[in-house]
Formats: sequence, C-alpha cells, structure tokens
Amino acid sequence: MDWSYTPLLFVLPLALMIPIVMLVLTNVLGPKNPSAAKSVPYESGIAPPTSAEQRFPVRFYLVAVSFLLFDVEAVFLFPWAVRFKELGWFGFGVMSIFLAILVLGLVYEWRKGGLEWD
Amino acid sequence: MLAIPEIGWSDLTPLLPFLILCVGGLVLVLIDALIRGRAGFPWAPVTALLPAAALVAYAARWGDAVGETVFGTMFIEDSFGSTVGVLICIATLLAVFLSGSYLDKVGRTRGEYYALIAFSASGLVLFASTTELLSLFLGLELLSIPVYVLSGYLRKNPLSLEAGMKYFLLGAFSSAVFLFGGALIYVTTGTTDLVEGLRLGAGSPLAQLGFLILLSGLLFKAATVPFHMWTPDVYQGAPTAVTAFMATAVKAAAFGALARVVAAGSPLWDNIPLTQVLWWVAVLTMTVGNLAALTQTNVKRMLAYSSIAHAGYLLIGLVVFSQTGDHDALSGMLYYLLAYTVMNIGAFGVVIYWANHEREHLEIPQYAGLGWRTPALGLAMSVFMISLAGIPPTAGFFGKYYIFRSAIEHGFHSLIIIAVLNSALSVYYYLRVMVALYMRKPVATLELGRSTVVGAVVAVCAVATFWIGFAPDAFSFVPGVPSIVEWVQGAAIAAR
Amino acid sequence: MDSLLSIVVFLPAAAAALLMMVPKEQHGLFRNGALAAMVATLLASIPLLTGFQTHAEMQFVTKAAWIEDFGIQYYIGLDGISLFLVLLTNVLGPLVVLSAFKAVDTRVKEFYILLLILQTGMLGAFVALDLFLFYFFWEVMLLPMYLLIGVWGGQERVYAAVKFVLYTIVGSLLMLVAILALYFIHHAQTGIYTFDLMALMQTDVPLNTQIWLFLAFGLAFAIKVPLWPLHTWLPDAHVQAPTAGSVVLAGVLLKMGTYGFLRFAIPLFPEAAVQMQKPILILSVIGIVYGALVAMVQTDIKKLVAYSSVSHLGYVVLGLFSFNMLGASGSLYQMLGHGLSTGALFLLVGIIYERRHTREISAFGGLAKGLPFFTFAFVFTTLSSIGLPGLNGFVGEFLVLLGAFGESPWIGAIAASGVVLGAAYMLWLVRRFLFGANDNPENQDLADLSGREWLVLAPLMILMVYMGVQPKPFLDRMEPALEKAYAPVLEVRASGNYSSAADLLAPFLAEREEVEPVMENTEDPAHQIGGGVR
Repeated sequence: MDWSYTPLLFVLPLALMIPIVMLVLTNVLGPKNPSAAKSVPYESGIAPPTSAEQRFPVRFYLVAVSFLLFDVEAVFLFPWAVRFKELGWFGFGVMSIFLAILVLGLVYEWRKGGLEWD
Repeated sequence: MLAIPEIGWSDLTPLLPFLILCVGGLVLVLIDALIRGRAGFPWAPVTALLPAAALVAYAARWGDAVGETVFGTMFIEDSFGSTVGVLICIATLLAVFLSGSYLDKVGRTRGEYYALIAFSASGLVLFASTTELLSLFLGLELLSIPVYVLSGYLRKNPLSLEAGMKYFLLGAFSSAVFLFGGALIYVTTGTTDLVEGLRLGAGSPLAQLGFLILLSGLLFKAATVPFHMWTPDVYQGAPTAVTAFMATAVKAAAFGALARVVAAGSPLWDNIPLTQVLWWVAVLTMTVGNLAALTQTNVKRMLAYSSIAHAGYLLIGLVVFSQTGDHDALSGMLYYLLAYTVMNIGAFGVVIYWANHEREHLEIPQYAGLGWRTPALGLAMSVFMISLAGIPPTAGFFGKYYIFRSAIEHGFHSLIIIAVLNSALSVYYYLRVMVALYMRKPVATLELGRSTVVGAVVAVCAVATFWIGFAPDAFSFVPGVPSIVEWVQGAAIAAR
Repeated sequence: MDSLLSIVVFLPAAAAALLMMVPKEQHGLFRNGALAAMVATLLASIPLLTGFQTHAEMQFVTKAAWIEDFGIQYYIGLDGISLFLVLLTNVLGPLVVLSAFKAVDTRVKEFYILLLILQTGMLGAFVALDLFLFYFFWEVMLLPMYLLIGVWGGQERVYAAVKFVLYTIVGSLLMLVAILALYFIHHAQTGIYTFDLMALMQTDVPLNTQIWLFLAFGLAFAIKVPLWPLHTWLPDAHVQAPTAGSVVLAGVLLKMGTYGFLRFAIPLFPEAAVQMQKPILILSVIGIVYGALVAMVQTDIKKLVAYSSVSHLGYVVLGLFSFNMLGASGSLYQMLGHGLSTGALFLLVGIIYERRHTREISAFGGLAKGLPFFTFAFVFTTLSSIGLPGLNGFVGEFLVLLGAFGESPWIGAIAASGVVLGAAYMLWLVRRFLFGANDNPENQDLADLSGREWLVLAPLMILMVYMGVQPKPFLDRMEPALEKAYAPVLEVRASGNYSSAADLLAPFLAEREEVEPVMENTEDPAHQIGGGVR
C-alpha cells in the first residue's frame, strides 16, 4: 500500500473545519445591529434602478467560453516550458501544431462572427 | 519522478487513421469558416473521403499492426484495434452518406455537422486502440462530446434538444464515473497503464472497486442495462443519421474498449466475480431490451431498444471471454459487430429514404403497405429485420450463431437458453415491421421522399447482409486475403 | 449425375430468381413459369426414383465445403426415407401452383416466387445431411410460409402468421443450441469440428445430455408435427392460409417434424428416445383422440380438416415411437398418404370456397345433386383419409396400429378408437356438406369441377389408389433406410440396460417385457402386411 497520500486524510477534515468554524464564529461573536439603510445592496447609498436578477445577453457567455478556451492553453504550455530542453525540436514541433490548431479555432470563431458584439 | 518515454515523429505513423480523421475534421471546420455557409459545397462526399482514407491507412499498415505501443504505452497498434477501427470507419462512411441526404431533407446542411462526425470518429478509433487510462479517457471524451452536440443538432426540434441535453448530462456524469474508477486504480497501483496496473492491483479491493466503476462508465457508452436509460430517448430524438452513427460506430468502439478492459481486468480476481457481473449485465440487457421493444410503435425507439438487446448478445462474447480467455468468443463479438453495423445502418437508411422534406415517417403503422409501393426498399427493410431477428440466411443469424457457439462450447447453457428465448421474443417486434410493410392496407397516402445516395447505401447494406450471412468466408478464394472469419479470429487473438 | 439432387433442390429457387426480373404485370407468365418450374422439378426428380438402389446407404450424395472454418458442409443425399418425401413435395408442387391460378389474383408475382422459394427450402431440408445445412433450410422455409399466410390469408391472417413464426422459431432456436452442443461433444471426442450427420451419429453422448438434446430437437419437431399440446398454431395457420398455403402446410411442412424425429432425433439420441418413448406415445395418443373429438365439433370445414391433421399426425408419431419396423414403415407411409389425402381435402375446400366464399358447414347441404363430380372427388378423398382399405390411408394407419399394438396393446386400443372417431367426423361432414336437402338458394347453381381443377385432383386420386393397392414398391424402398435409422434404438432396447424414466405409466411397462421378443422376430413385417393388403 502506498502511504504517501496519508497526509491528505488529515488535511481534508481541517479544510472542512476552517470555513465552518469561521462562519459559525462570526455569527455567534459578531454584534448585530440591523437597520433599513444597512440592508440595501449598496451601502454607499445609491439605490439600484432595477432588480439585480435579470438575464444577461447570451454574448457574455460566448466571450466567456472563448476566453476559457484560449486561456486553458496555458495549462499545456507550462509543462512544455518546464521540460523544454528534454523535449527538444520534437516538443517544439508538437507545440507549434497545438498553437496552429488554436489559431485555426480563432479563425473559425472570427469568420463565424463569434467575435462581433452585434 | 516519472521518466519521459522516448517519443518522436515516428510515433505518429501508427496513429495515421486517427490523424486523418482528426486533421480532416479541422480542415472541414476551416472550409466551413472560409465559405461562410454558402450552399452547394459537397460536404458528404468530401467528408466520406476521411473514413475512406483511414481505411486505406489501416490496410496499408495491416502487417505492421503487431501489438507495439507508441507514445510510451499510451496507444497500441494491433490487429484487434485495427479491426475495430475498420468497423468504425465502415460505419462512419455509411453514416456520412446517410447524413448528406438526411440533412438535405431536414434543410439543415452545415459544415459543423460533418466536422463533428469526423472528430467523433477520430475519438472512436483512439478509444479502440488503447489500454491506458489517460488515453482511454481522452478517446472517450473526444468521441462523446461531438456526439452530444450531434444529438441536439436539430435545435428547433424539442425531441432532439432533449436528446442532446439528456445525453450530455448523463454522458458527462458517466465520464466522471469512469474517471473516478480510473483514479482509484491509479491510486492503488501507481500507474495508468491498465494491463500493468491491474496486474499490480490483483487482489486489492480498492483496485477491484475502481475497475468495476471504470467498467460501468464503459457499459454506459455501450448502452447496457442498468445504464441504458438514456438510449431510447436519445436514439429517438437525435437526427436519424446520427442515431445510425451512434448505434453502429459508437457501439463498435465501446465494445472494442470493453473487450480490452475486460481482458486487462481478468487478473484482478480469480475471474469469477467479473464473469458473474458481466453475466447478469448481459442477461438483464437482452431481456430488458427485448421486453421494452415489444410494445414500441416508433421505429427509432424500437431500434433503440433492439440495440440494447443486441448489446446483450454482444456481451455474451465478453462473458465467455472473461472466464475462459477463449479468443473465439471475441471473434464472435467482432463478427457480430460487423453484421450489426451493416444491418442497422441499412434499417436506418430505409427510414431516411422514406422521409420527405416535410417530415419523417417514424410510426410503424405508417409503413402499412409500403412493401408493395416501394418493393426494393420494402425488400431491403425486410432483409434487415430478418437479419436483426437472427433468421438465416443473413448476417444476423451467422453472427448470433458465432457468439452462441463459443458460449455453448464452454458450457454457458443457462445463458444461451436465455439468449435463445430472447431472440425468439425479438422476432415478434421485428416481424411487426414486416407485417406493416406487407400485410396491412395503407391508411392514407403517405408522401414518400427518395434519395439515390441513400438507396445505394441501403443496397450495399442489403447485399452485405446476405453475403456475410451466406458466405462468411467470402473472399477466401482471393490469395492473401483472409476470410471474414479468419480476419476476426486473427484480430481476437491479438486482443490485449 | 452427381449433381442431380442439387438440381432438383435448386431448380425452383433458380426459377424464382428468373421470375424476379419479369415485370409484375405479366400475370400469365408467372403462373405458367411457376408451373413449368414445378413440373421441371418433378421431371428432374424422376431419375431419383428410377436410379434409386434399394439399400440403406445415402445415394445421389453431393458433398462440398461451405464454411470451412466451422466444418460446415454442403452435404446432401437421399435414402429410402427422404426419397418419397422429396417425390411427395415435387408432386404437390405443380398441383399447388395450378390450384392457385384463379384463387390468387393479387400480387401474383410475389406469390409464385415465394412458393418456389418455399419449395427449395422444403426439398433442401429433406435431403440435407449436414445439421447446419438442415437448420439453414429449415429456417428458409419459415419466411415464405409466413408471408403466404400473412399476405394472401383470410381475416385473421396476421395473427395466424405471427403465431406460426413464433411457435416455430422458439423450437428451432433451441434445436440450434442442441446442434451446437452435439457439435462440441463430437469435437471433444474426436477433435474434429463437423456438422456431418453420419459422423455425429457415431458420437457417444452421455444419457443425461442425450435427454436434454433430444428434448431440444424434439420440441422443434413436435411443434412442427404438431404434437398435442403444441398444436394450437396449426388450426389458425390452416384456416387463415390461402388454399395453396394450406396444401403445402398440410402436405409437406408438417412432415418436416416427423421426418426430423425419424432422421435426427431418434438415430442421434437412441437412449434418450427409448427413455422418452412413453411420454411421447401418450402425447400422440392424446393428439389422436383430442384432434378427432375437436374436429367433430367444428363448424368450419377447413378447421375440421386442420384438426383431423392433428389426429392423423398423431398416428405418424405413434408409429415412429413404437420402435418396430411395422410402426416405422407405417408411419412413413402415413406421412405420404396424409400428404396426398389432406392435400386433396384442402384443395377441395379451396375449390368450394372460391365459389361460395364461405366454409361454414351450415351454409351447405345437398351439393351432391348439383355437383356430382365434386362430390365424387370429395367422398373419394374422405374415404382415403379415414383409411378405407384399397386406398392409401388404410395401409399406413393399419401398419401403425399393428406397430402400436406390438408395443403396447393399451395404446394401440386407444389409438384405434381414433380411427372410428375419424370415420365419424369425416362421414358426418360429408353428410352435412354434400347430402341432404339443398335448401340454400346460394348453392343452387354452382359450377362443378373445371378441367383445371380435375387436372389438380386427378393425379392425387390416382396416387391414392396406387398407394392403396401397391404398397410393396414403396415399403421395399423405405425399409432398409428405416432399419438403419432404428438400428441404434433397437440395439439399446435389446441390450436392456436402460432404466425407464417413464414410470408415468407403470401398467404399460409391465406389458413391454412380454412384447419385446415379438419385436425382434418382426424381421420382415412389411412384406407380410403388404401381402395381406394385396
């Protein structure tokens, strides 16, 4: 049996305990003095014009997804950078192909109108 | 610290079929982006070039497929994987031609559809040629995500949307389950190579648990009871051409991977529990599938339940293999997959052929009298139904014979009796289609569509259904070309 | 002439393939083409009869590899058992086609093509000596018959057709499993994978396994025969089938079951056959009496004839499981006789149905005056069916009863009562159907037999007389093959080391000890009986 993960067993309850303790303690110890002005969304005093629960334009999601896609590439670039020497030209070639595919995705998104707001 | 395996450009050549499909998919995306959705591009024929080229690649590398691994132990090139890959490519090729006509009929021809098919096919061939947890997962995701999208492709059709959403949620969940099982195995054994890992994990309860969880993730993809709930809704709702693709190509890959995983998992126990688990899954799968199919009136839903039932028959091969290690059981399974591919694509082809631009005719009673109105199509549909029912002289019969054969040889009598009774039961609902085609008066004049390409696909499938059933050792007279039987036997022996 | 038998088997299918290319409006061409193909098949099978040598071995053998990887062969041959069944099939073939000339006027093309394919399936099943090939032909017969009933049948045709298929397929799939099991047992003993019947007969199967395999084979055959209580598909199928379908069904397809017992189940599993003898005898006797009693209360002529088939086939099974040469040859004779007479009865019912579009007995009466020739043919066939001496039915029934008495007097006595019942319901039918007062206005001016209808019936009637007065040529040719088929069973019984599983009927068991020596003395029984008949 591999015991190298045993510390996780101890960390796990600890990780669970900390937020619970914090939440409970603030509730118990913190002084409470509620008033109408304190429970408005912006304590600076500006009254919100409409309800905060409304729909966002779908384009936000599009941008978010595009961002995620192109952001995640970093996950692949870091390990390559760490092992750059060992991987050599082969690694370089493979990463170039990877980036080329990403560029292809960008071209696709562009041509399909994914980057236009209207 | 893990050692970096020796990898280089030469590791890519065994993955040629995968690369063809994957790069081809990228090219399709690019074409679609560049022509900006202008009509008139011959999507289906161009897409069909990809599985065709992959088939050529398989044929060219046939002699080299001797079980060597590439990228460390990530992938393996052996004739089992190549055989499953060939099945996948055949199914994809036929499904692409069906898609062309189908999308024209529903008026939703888009380049993305074909790119997704190509990506999914590339995932399928990867899935069938690996025994490594990470690459297995990679293949699983690569094949699944495009199929989720394809299921919901007709986004104005509520059934299709439901299919896409349902398949996506459950599929993602099953992927997670699969990953969890894999993680448990890795935790216990410290390697992601299944064969090596499961040998190390022999007797460890955690590895056994992980293996069963991993197995259930695969059984989900293969549409077996109790992981079958999604099948009828997804098969019914998805575009018919996608259903044909899912029922054949995805099934072939799922069973290919299952066979490898079961083979790798056999050292975990003294074999018995694994066989018993599979035994029950097989029995439940065929019985539930057949019983539920009895009352269906929608042809796609009926074929969905029938595909569950057929998964049960296919599992018989794995049950026998898991206990005895007899490769003959696996060759029966491969043979059955081939037979199942041609007859199922053919049946869906007929459904697509009859669809017109307004609507598809999916209720079996609507087929009343169609056997007389379109004799060739009616005959072809009857051939597929007879074959699905397992009546000679068709591929379905010989496939069943082949699977039952090894089970009887190893004394799985109760399993075979259950399978035989099930298959008698299934005759009832397959014959219902024939009853409608030939024995009922047409209720109203039905507007039938037509399509030359689909007609050709159906004809090819019908001829193949007969040929594979009548002369399973076809082509053996050509020197150097193995008969189908020898071919699947060779592939099964190579299974790792 | 090595390929003669193959030509006979595949001629109808080849003709069907040719007819498929003809445009479907050419009704006359299909009728005449199918007739020509059937007649050609009949003519081609005449050399089988003339060239037949009277010995027990397979003749006209063709053997070729089919699917080598599994030891599946194309292996066909003919012996005294299958010879006459092949001839019966080929005699009925043209008559069936001819009988449908007027009755079938829709989907003519498909009808005749299916009939021709069915013919090939039946012929193939009778001559196949490779178990896989036999199973193949056995199933090939299924679909044409299904479509014949389901497309050209009566009101409830779909129900009847589906029932027919489901019954058959349950039995046949279990048979397939048994075939495979036998195949592997043989392989375990010899190391050879083969479905060759002759080789498999040498296999030494443990008794326990034998019983299971026998039951699996037996179920398939018993459903086809049909043996009580598996007969319920038969009345439905018969009543709903078109005339041609009924004739083929009664004339040939039912014999497939009894032929299966004779060719496969009994010789392959002799010990099991001995064990299961009593239960099967009892079922067959129940079938005889039950079929007759139920036939008596039918109001539909076709249904009556269908139940009479249940009763008559009971005799056949009774003879097969009497395990003596008298019973066996009687039963094979009865198969042929029943094919002729029941075939003719269905044809006659079809003829009257074409004129009146009803088969209710109560709708008829007094036809004798207006339809003298029809009446003659009907009464003639009825007499043949109830076993009047001088006609074919007598020889078979008499031999079977003798065989049954030799085995167990009790069983023989009960079975004999079926003869009386048979005479009763058939003659009562004749009385209500043809004689009495012709008081239904619709029956006043019906046309008598046409020339074509004579052409259909006359050959059958001639054969009925011939088989009634000249059984010797038939029995002589059958006997060596039958002796060979029963040799394993008789050996088992002679050795006496079988314990009976049939304690069901203890009194009969006591009887057998006395009977046994008698059977060994019946070396040449058919000759004695045949002589008596002449």
